[in-house]
Amino acid sequence: MRVLVVEDDPVVGPDLAQALREAGFAVDLSIDGEDAWYRGDVEDYALAVLDLGLPKLDGLSVLKRWRSEGRSFPVLILSARSDWTEKVEGIQAGADDYVGKPFAMGELVARVRGLVRRAAGHASPLLAVGRVTLDTGRMTATVDDRPMRLSPLEYRFLDLLAHRPGRFLCASEIAEHLHGTDDAADANAIEALVLRLRRKVGPDVIESRRGFGYMIAGS
Amino acid sequence: MIRDSLRLRLLAAAAVAIFVALVMAGTGMSWFFERHIEQREADALIRDGKLIAGGLRVDAAGRPVADVQPGDDRYGEAGSGLYWQLTTSKGSAHSDSLWDQNLPLQPGSDREDWRARHLPGPFGKSLLMVERRILPEQAAEPVLVQLATDDGPLHAARREFNRETALSLGLLWLFLLIAAYVQVTLGLRPLTTVRRQIATLRGNPAARLPGGHPREIAPLAEAINALAEAREADLGRARKRAGDLAHSLKTPLAALAAQNRRAREAGAVEAADGQDRALAAMRAALETELARSRAAAARDAGHSLAADIETQIENIIAVIERTELGERLIFDVHMPDELHVPVASEDLTELLGALIENAARHARVRVRVRGGMAEEESQLWIEDDGPGLGRESSEAVMARGSRLDEAGPGHGLGLAIVSDLMQATDGTIALGRSELGGLEVRLAWLVERSPAAPRKSAFLRWMTRHR
Repeated sequence: MRVLVVEDDPVVGPDLAQALREAGFAVDLSIDGEDAWYRGDVEDYALAVLDLGLPKLDGLSVLKRWRSEGRSFPVLILSARSDWTEKVEGIQAGADDYVGKPFAMGELVARVRGLVRRAAGHASPLLAVGRVTLDTGRMTATVDDRPMRLSPLEYRFLDLLAHRPGRFLCASEIAEHLHGTDDAADANAIEALVLRLRRKVGPDVIESRRGFGYMIAGS
Repeated sequence: MIRDSLRLRLLAAAAVAIFVALVMAGTGMSWFFERHIEQREADALIRDGKLIAGGLRVDAAGRPVADVQPGDDRYGEAGSGLYWQLTTSKGSAHSDSLWDQNLPLQPGSDREDWRARHLPGPFGKSLLMVERRILPEQAAEPVLVQLATDDGPLHAARREFNRETALSLGLLWLFLLIAAYVQVTLGLRPLTTVRRQIATLRGNPAARLPGGHPREIAPLAEAINALAEAREADLGRARKRAGDLAHSLKTPLAALAAQNRRAREAGAVEAADGQDRALAAMRAALETELARSRAAAARDAGHSLAADIETQIENIIAVIERTELGERLIFDVHMPDELHVPVASEDLTELLGALIENAARHARVRVRVRGGMAEEESQLWIEDDGPGLGRESSEAVMARGSRLDEAGPGHGLGLAIVSDLMQATDGTIALGRSELGGLEVRLAWLVERSPAAPRKSAFLRWMTRHR
């Protein structure tokens, strides 16, 4: 599995590459933004670890270019600036995770593995229920053909409803599927989850009926 | 003291100027008054003189004779203060009031029109006298006609007038002084306003003087604003340099950690452990400095409104949801529309980012972020359904003055930035048990930032410490 490491520091870059190689990845090391952009554009990587402070072209611009050109491999941002504002900026630019420097190598390798695992799904038959279409391999959702930015949990919730079309699922049943428990507090939490999800996908996409539970409208 | 006070200087100048003006006015009035009453007396004497002149003749011996005399009894009363006298070179005639005295003959008494003058007269009195020469019909030489009155009553009237005028002008001086005081106070009021506004600038580099100043003060306000802008820019540059320095040390620290890892792999475990501890201390020091620099910048840096706060919270949640920590959690956000907090967006992102991440770390399935306005307070609650701090730990944390980062390891609240930012924005932190079951962190700010606010917030801090 090929991973692109973009880091200009002469010690950190090779060390990171080495650690990822030891973890079983095939690693390419890039030391400036323009080179990284080119490689990410023409090569097929499973993931990129991207430093933000790069010569020639800064990391955030590289990431934006990749995303605007349709390159969708997961990107883990590695940066000396680990402010929340920058994390938010990075995620909004299309990054999938953010690690601040200095970092523990073990933690970084674990986060790389997690990202790769999550993104490993290949394109698969789409599951269309009502106005919702789920790509079960990539774990992405569209509503009326508009792509939605869902959290993994929100995706799992929609996936659960989509697999039981035409049936109301009660909160405790959903809680049990999502968290493995069905106590009353978790049922309340499901209400909060639906509230948030409705704000993202629209108020009519998830239908609820008192005493019965939830289902995708029109399924 | 007068040198130090613009008000006193203006008042002293006004007092002196008004005094000089009133003295000049008083002197002028006195002179006009005296001239007026003298003129009246002289006119009365001339009237009598003309009466005498009507019946004036010269007898055969060449002495003047007054066939007609004025009716005023005082001409017949010795030393009464009202006299007439007719004089030729051959002799003279005078009123009975002169008794055995004469009116003095002065050089220049040969004019042929009425002329008034003061001079010492009989009975030791000073006189106002009118005189002229008249040539009666068939007379060989002109007769000098003199009429005089004692000018003592004139002087007494003038003194009386002066006394009353001085009293009036004195009162007028006091009244004008009060008016000047009011005028100076009103005139200086915009300066007091500017001074009060500058006091808010002192604590807040981002603040500026508002507009609406009088035309004379506006350039001053503009100059102060320009200064504040320069100061803010300087502060910003200094903080940026400090932040850049701290950030620039992070990559070398990562490089040191990498080399340390190699050393450990090469067998130098003990040395690597020691280095790791030193690296951790350096990292902690850097984070603390960065938090401090951010907190210093956060002091009254601005306000965030409800929509803004909600967007920031959603952005933070979007980051956390992507991590292993947050991907299984349900986030629940409630912000009332009227909420606003005295923290600028970027700082609020840091503050809430640290707290929501901490809540996510301990939550079982749910993290709730709520906002609310109570009385004069803006409040934010960050809750989770995790194990919570426990009553004793909460109290222990609160007893240390709610510095979460001093709570020590064990409850995962190593959040230097939270304490520093709350302190910098005059906010308070309270820890408690959430109805969700876990920890509830309550942030509160007084939102009416009147001059009394710092005192209130100090009181709140005291309350927080002693709760």
